[in-house]
Amino acid sequence: MGRFFRIVGELLITCGLVVFGFLAYMYWGTALRANSAQQTYTSELTKQWAAANPLTALAELRTIPAGTPFALLRIPQFGQAWQLAVVQGTGVSQLLLAPGHVPGTALPGRVGNFAVAAHRVTAGNPFWGLPSLRKGSMINVETITGTYEYTVTSGPTRVSAGDLSALAAVPFHPGEQPTQRLITLITCDPPWTGTSRVVVTGVLLRTLPRAPGS
Amino acid sequence: MYGWLWRRLPGGPGARLVQLVLLLVVVGVLLWFVVYPWASLHLPVDPSGLG
Repeated sequence: MGRFFRIVGELLITCGLVVFGFLAYMYWGTALRANSAQQTYTSELTKQWAAANPLTALAELRTIPAGTPFALLRIPQFGQAWQLAVVQGTGVSQLLLAPGHVPGTALPGRVGNFAVAAHRVTAGNPFWGLPSLRKGSMINVETITGTYEYTVTSGPTRVSAGDLSALAAVPFHPGEQPTQRLITLITCDPPWTGTSRVVVTGVLLRTLPRAPGS
Repeated sequence: MYGWLWRRLPGGPGARLVQLVLLLVVVGVLLWFVVYPWASLHLPVDPSGLG
């Protein structure tokens, strides 16, 4: 009998260690993968932008393949060093490495809603601080065509996980014709769960076009 | 379980310890690079993805 309990105990301890290992992987392992991908993306973009003509590159932005980085997201409130490359697509394999542009939503600086989804935790916790953004917080997006400075107009707003109306061209009013140039950032809430989403919306404040060759 | 493993391993205590550590490393690497990445895709932890 004592032998039986010892084996059960050893099994339970082993399972516990395996689960702790999984938590460590979710926290540090996924962050390591995302960070190395981010470094690659950022250097790729910087090189690409220095070489290309922003005018001819405009057309290329229209058809970005899934998983391809095309923008740099900066939120000064999170610190000067806070910068993430945004890729096209919001599938599991894309969000594993970077915030993703919701396909079908507007491109940065365009009329409509530039929607970006990212993990709250895991993959380096890209949108951990999203609920701390307030009206007036800046969200800067740089692409090959220039830098687009958005300011937060509403949020953080909590919506249910299935409610995607925040991603509409006019946020929360699906079907309406957009007139403004907006940005929407969306992530999971509460952290670690898929119960709800938290959303922040902003409007384009000004555009800094890229000078050719800069 | 671990006692059984200890008794089954050949060699003296030193050799057994080396084998155990190696086994632990192999299991750890397998978990970290194969099992955990697979599990992370199938568990609803922070499912921020859309569609």
